[in-house]
Amino acid sequence: MAWTAGIRPVGTTNIVAYGSSMRGKDVRLDKVSIRFGDSTAVQPTDLAIHAGEFFSILGPSGCGKTTILRTISGFIEPTDGRVLIGGEDMVGKGPNERPTALIFQNLALFPLMSVAENVAFGLEARGIGKAQRLKRAQELLELVALDQYGDKKPADLSGGQRQRVAIARALAVEPSVLLLDEPLSALDLKLRQHMRTELRSIQKRVGITFIYITHDQGEALAMSDRVAVMSRGRLEQVADADTLYAEPATPFVATFVGEQNVLRGRITTLADDVASVETPIGLVTGRAKGALKVGDEALVMVRPERISLGASNANTVPARLVSRNLEGPSVNLLCAAAGQNFTVTVPNGPAVRDLPEELNLSFGLADALVYPMGALAHG
Amino acid sequence: MGSLARAYGRPLALTLTAILVLWILALILVPLGAMVQQSLWWKDSAGDLSLTIDRLYNDIATLQLDAGNATDAAKKAALDAEIATKQGEATALEAQELNPGKQWGLDNFTRMSSLHLYIFVRTILYALMVTALALIVCYPVAYVVALASGPRKAIILTVALIVPYAINELLRVYAWLMILDYRGVINGVLGWFGVVDLDNRGWIPFLENPSAVFLAMIYTYVLFMVFPIVNTLETLDRNQIEAARDLGASTARIHRRVIIPHAKPGIAVGCIMTFMLSAGSYSVPAIMTRGQGGDWFSQLVYRQFFESNNWNMGSAYAVSLLVVCTAFILLMMRFFGVGLRDIAK
Ligand SMILES: Nc1ncnc2c1ncn2[C@@H]1O[C@H](COP(=O)(O)OP(=O)(O)OP(=O)(O)O)[C@@H](O)[C@H]1O
Ligand SMILES: [Mg+2]
Repeated sequence: MAWTAGIRPVGTTNIVAYGSSMRGKDVRLDKVSIRFGDSTAVQPTDLAIHAGEFFSILGPSGCGKTTILRTISGFIEPTDGRVLIGGEDMVGKGPNERPTALIFQNLALFPLMSVAENVAFGLEARGIGKAQRLKRAQELLELVALDQYGDKKPADLSGGQRQRVAIARALAVEPSVLLLDEPLSALDLKLRQHMRTELRSIQKRVGITFIYITHDQGEALAMSDRVAVMSRGRLEQVADADTLYAEPATPFVATFVGEQNVLRGRITTLADDVASVETPIGLVTGRAKGALKVGDEALVMVRPERISLGASNANTVPARLVSRNLEGPSVNLLCAAAGQNFTVTVPNGPAVRDLPEELNLSFGLADALVYPMGALAHG
Repeated sequence: MGSLARAYGRPLALTLTAILVLWILALILVPLGAMVQQSLWWKDSAGDLSLTIDRLYNDIATLQLDAGNATDAAKKAALDAEIATKQGEATALEAQELNPGKQWGLDNFTRMSSLHLYIFVRTILYALMVTALALIVCYPVAYVVALASGPRKAIILTVALIVPYAINELLRVYAWLMILDYRGVINGVLGWFGVVDLDNRGWIPFLENPSAVFLAMIYTYVLFMVFPIVNTLETLDRNQIEAARDLGASTARIHRRVIIPHAKPGIAVGCIMTFMLSAGSYSVPAIMTRGQGGDWFSQLVYRQFFESNNWNMGSAYAVSLLVVCTAFILLMMRFFGVGLRDIAK
């Protein structure tokens, strides 16, 4: 095999120019499906990720996120379909021949090498002289604010520092696409939140495409330009964070991203995109999402913060207050109506301090989304 | 002892300590001490003594003749007295000959003949070569075994490594003998194809070449090289290999920079074991050369003990081998930059 064939030359720019010397490329999956023996890990998938975008793939454990990432990086050949990076078909190209760099779920730093050697490894593999590659490693360590740590071993660093070493090591080969496989999952909450901002700002500075995998919706929504939600080897929806939250395309997305009150029922009338559904709490009208027919079983989703107290909306439900959980800026009210539990999130304030036991819950037509029967994220 | 007693209670701590002391005595101190003690003394050479005694008896015989012929009573008495003293001397010397005195010193070590010294050096070199060859053969095997997963690994391990080693070592060496012999399997096949002419003794004399011994030894000691390397390689995070590849490293560089450094302690243990076993192996060179090829040092040691019946010299040879092997261990640990702690891992 010709190892050198596809290896990208590294520019001679210094770090100040990194942002301009590295250019993101777009990634396209063209009817890609991946099977392991008899089991299908990824269903036929079309996906277009723009150049320079921070793109997240969000989904529960085992849904095929890592498999997709490894397919883009070249460790797995798709069973069917093509992967294109920058418009170029990647078929038959190994991981070392693609303009991608992968950050592993467990980072996979080389424990016996110093931090600087780790960062310089990709340049070493390209035959760049020792002095030059260590100088560039030093520049990259500056980029991730670790310039004092070049001589240390990875084991001597904290989790967040190791994280940044992994990023510097991947950036050293000037990839057009950086692939990150749940790189923050090993960190504690506080560090994770800090690293989110850090990652986002590094991405802004270097300007290359980031494809970020996570099962943490908070991470995906906070950092990404766009998010793909995945379930069981299938892309459920690809959209920006606001759209995902406000207009989930499927019951899975609706319940995986954020909280929902879910009602089951049967469609009685359907006009334009307004559906009326007969539910345990009575007739509910909402916006129809997806292909629906009168008489079909359906799911109605209402977000807790879209429900208000009082009777002034299209849908009104008399309910009993079960408990009141103070969250700080908001209050979660757990209510029951006709055997159906509701969570209602209202802003904290004097108005919600002394609530009567009997309440009216109401929500508008636009706040209730009606879906055909389908899989939910949590059972 | 104090902390042991606190951790396990007094009776158990005493038992543990006793076992430990016994272990050290039985496995290290007693055998080694006996060997070293044996190597540090020798018996007075009996050769000169016998000659002196022979001379004395000659003298006595002459004197007796003289005494028989003597007519002068006074002269005869003088001769008899002289015979008696000589007889006394001879008896004393005979007693000494039967039970020679011990001499202490390093002579057993310094008296090695130049031929034996040559064999000693050559054996060390051969053992080093066997170790190097075994490493070259075993590293890829260990790599494949360690990175195989699930049922495939079990199959490779059982078929390739466990089954052959369930057979007794001697039988395996004899099997190689049969393969490489003048009329062995290889020559037989070559003869069948007409490459060699067995009827006119035109066979290839594999066994007369030291590499026959190398081959059998590598085959015999492969496991001792493979298992330590497999053990260390199994602890290598495969993501590191993939990360290196993703960063553009060639296969050779991945081995050189990532895999081999990680496997170092295992390689060191494997080399030490293989070297020790091959430097001290008696049966393999004895069987494989059958006197046709050059001796290995272990065969000399054997002969000192059981043919020359010179246990002191044999012990000195054995101790010399031990010293060199120990030096080799220390060198290897130094060379690979591993300490006992890493090896224990
Ligand atoms: N090499 C493989 N051979 C067989 N099945 C595999 C292989 N790799 C992954 N799978 C299967 O493919 C499915 C998707 O796995 P994948 O690792 O992509 O999930 P994931 O979304 O990354 O999960 P997680 O969040 O737990 O990392 C799983 O059911 C897994 O068992
Ligand atoms: Mg994964």
